[in-house]
Amino acid sequence: MADVRDIMELDQPVTPELTKEAILGADKNKKRLFNAGQKVSKRPEGMHREVFALLYNDNKDAPPLFPSDTSNGYKQTKIKLGMRKPRKWEWMSFTNPARSDNTLFYHWRRPSDETKEYPFAKFNKKIDIPIYTDAEYNQHLTTEGWSRQETDHMMDLARRFDMRFIIIADRYDTEKFPKRTVEEIKDRYYKVCGILAKLTNKKMYTYDADHEKRRKEQLKRLYERTPEQIEEEQFLIGELKKIEARKKERERKTQDLQKLISQADNQGETPRKADKKLPKKKITNPSRPSRVDTSHILQAVETAGIKFPDYKNSGVSLRSQRMKLPASVGQKKTKGIEQMLQDMGMELNPTPSEEICQSFNELRSDMVLLMELKSALGTCEFELQSLRHQYEALNPGKTLTIPAQLLTAGNEQEAVKIGEIIDVVGSPGTPSGI
Amino acid sequence: MSGMLYGGDEIGALVFDPGHHSLRVGYAQEDTPKAEIPAIVGVAPDGGPKLEPEVKVEGSGGSSSSINASQPPTSAAAWKYYIDTTFLHTPRQNMELHPYMKDGMIENWDFFEKVIDYSYAKIIQSESEYHPVLFSESPWNQRPKREKLMEIMFEKYKVPAFFLVKNAALAAFANGRSTALVIDSGATHTSAVPVLDGYVISNAVVKSPLGGDYLVLRARELLEAQGIDLTPASMIASKEVVRDKDKAKYVKKPISFAPTNSWMAYMSKRTIQDFQQTVLQVSETPYEERVASAVPAVHYEFPTGYHQDFSSERFRLAEGLFDHAMLGAGYIASTSAGMCDVDVRPALYSSVVLTGGNSLVQGFSDRLSRDLSLRTPGSMRLKMIAANGTVERRFGAWVGGSILASIGTFQQMWVSMQEYQESGKVQIDRKCP
Repeated sequence: MADVRDIMELDQPVTPELTKEAILGADKNKKRLFNAGQKVSKRPEGMHREVFALLYNDNKDAPPLFPSDTSNGYKQTKIKLGMRKPRKWEWMSFTNPARSDNTLFYHWRRPSDETKEYPFAKFNKKIDIPIYTDAEYNQHLTTEGWSRQETDHMMDLARRFDMRFIIIADRYDTEKFPKRTVEEIKDRYYKVCGILAKLTNKKMYTYDADHEKRRKEQLKRLYERTPEQIEEEQFLIGELKKIEARKKERERKTQDLQKLISQADNQGETPRKADKKLPKKKITNPSRPSRVDTSHILQAVETAGIKFPDYKNSGVSLRSQRMKLPASVGQKKTKGIEQMLQDMGMELNPTPSEEICQSFNELRSDMVLLMELKSALGTCEFELQSLRHQYEALNPGKTLTIPAQLLTAGNEQEAVKIGEIIDVVGSPGTPSGI
Repeated sequence: MSGMLYGGDEIGALVFDPGHHSLRVGYAQEDTPKAEIPAIVGVAPDGGPKLEPEVKVEGSGGSSSSINASQPPTSAAAWKYYIDTTFLHTPRQNMELHPYMKDGMIENWDFFEKVIDYSYAKIIQSESEYHPVLFSESPWNQRPKREKLMEIMFEKYKVPAFFLVKNAALAAFANGRSTALVIDSGATHTSAVPVLDGYVISNAVVKSPLGGDYLVLRARELLEAQGIDLTPASMIASKEVVRDKDKAKYVKKPISFAPTNSWMAYMSKRTIQDFQQTVLQVSETPYEERVASAVPAVHYEFPTGYHQDFSSERFRLAEGLFDHAMLGAGYIASTSAGMCDVDVRPALYSSVVLTGGNSLVQGFSDRLSRDLSLRTPGSMRLKMIAANGTVERRFGAWVGGSILASIGTFQQMWVSMQEYQESGKVQIDRKCP
């Protein structure tokens, strides 16, 4: 504040400055601070004179800096040594519970800890390796190519090296037994474990040695590629990416084009739709609705079904991806599919085997088609009914008898009709070439 | 016991790391060995003319006379043993020098015991029965030798507990790894040892005889061909300053006898070793005369006072460690990794630990890393771990042993005296994998 006053050339009485204590409202401190404001020259305890001189000049002006909390002084309290008796250390013996013998070792320890257990003993973890009796072995574990001695040796090594199979294979007694690969040992070990687990109804682990072997072979080949091969592969991958990018670009363009075309179509159709909404005021040609209807249905059928995207992309993908509904399928349809599947008692996500995948997609495509046909039929009927009402309104007393085949009286008829329409349209059974 | 925080628990164990060049001795939990004793023992018939009275060094304290009487290597005459640099480097009449190591393993047990006696008496200065002992061994150590070592430590030195670890595993521990491909370039050989979870994969150990001694051999050939006098410093009383490449002018120490050939050979080897450490350098790329001669020369003065510049020779000599098609350091490393299971190879390549005194030849690690990266499969990450400090590199295995023996969870691993008395020495393979 002082510097501001100096600049403004004001001569104001010293105002009490805000401090933590002032804000907190500690009365005692406030009083002290008032005093401090008046008697600024008092050097706080522990503050060096040079530092103090920087803050307070000879004019005994108020300090240009915001006063900090000086209650504890500037000096940090020193550790007070020699106040308490240090705790003792003692070179004493100890036994380690992790050891099988009770050998005494010596180390430095606080006498107060003497009764405690050796703290590192708790880290002594052992892997549970199953054991078998003679009877068990003879009954269940005998197998071609593995003698009892060798199995014992293998299990012993597994225990000693905590199932580090690579080390087990390394330390295998090749003088007494034939040389074994890591896979052979693992295979035998897990078979023994599996059989023993089966006997006691415990959890079983299976090990596919052939698969492992193939995997390692592949890995080996992967690692043993020459730099030229790697370079070539990188080059090819780069090329593939370029091709894919181009393909995507092309697809995007065709899509844009299609959108434009369909938009143009829709624009051509909208007036017709508007026409349809106005039939109440028009005397419609009897032949006309049917024509409109068929085109409507045709269009519906054409867009019906789900167009599942091609999965001809390079690279690995999950087959279940092919079962995913494309984003173009609306939420309503998705719900409808789910509902139908539930009604049929089917799973929403069956196991995606090749066959199931295809059939499931076809099924859902058919479902969507069915839904669309139903809704188309609904609109047709509605229009038919409204036309009849119009007809009756215009010709009082007369009733329009609608031919039976146009009414959805029974399910059979409906089914027949749909079948007919489907036949007319083509074969939506294999929609859009999955 | 407050060491719980860092998992350490010190029980006053000793760590011995026998190598071809030297034996490292010290207390566990310390960062450097207390002493490095040359792996060579000087033997002279007792009663011969003594030069200094304080020569009586051999054996531990009071029991020296009994040792001398009981285990003379050849005849019944009393022998004196000279151990450690101070006593070895003085010329003595009829003192023959004998190495006790061979091929990375202890060969002459009598001499070895003398050195152990000496370490307890002069270095450790404490009784052997108070300190558990951790020994390092080469990864190809043979079972009879392991048993013998255990027997000696328990029977003769009455150690309360004993343990034996492969030095490659210890070197990996010293660099903070439990899985590593350890490239150990020592005096007699360079070896590549894969370590998995602290266990050495013994079937995939590859070693080549190209080590420090090979460099000494090549350097000796070169220096002798140039007619350079390799008289060791301890034979020279005074020398004069001469000009570059001028004939040395020096005065030999007045010795009434001719030092033995083995002593002269050893001392000139020390001289060449110094030359090798100061001058030799491995070039980063395969040796090329043109490139090598472009590098500034290094000046070296021999103990005789003769001095000259060494330029391309220093690269040509060191190239011997790498240019061999089958035994080069890079080659043995990749061969060793290639012999391991495919699943562990990425782990091995991602921590290649470099240790051993010979790896301190200038440019060794750069060249090895280059050679190895050429042989590393493209998809694998290669990482070289080479301690910067001379001590850490030379005493890698000892430092690892020092760490291991002072870890709280390790204390259950010791083979105790009781276990030894119950099951004998045959359990060494079970207890110390």
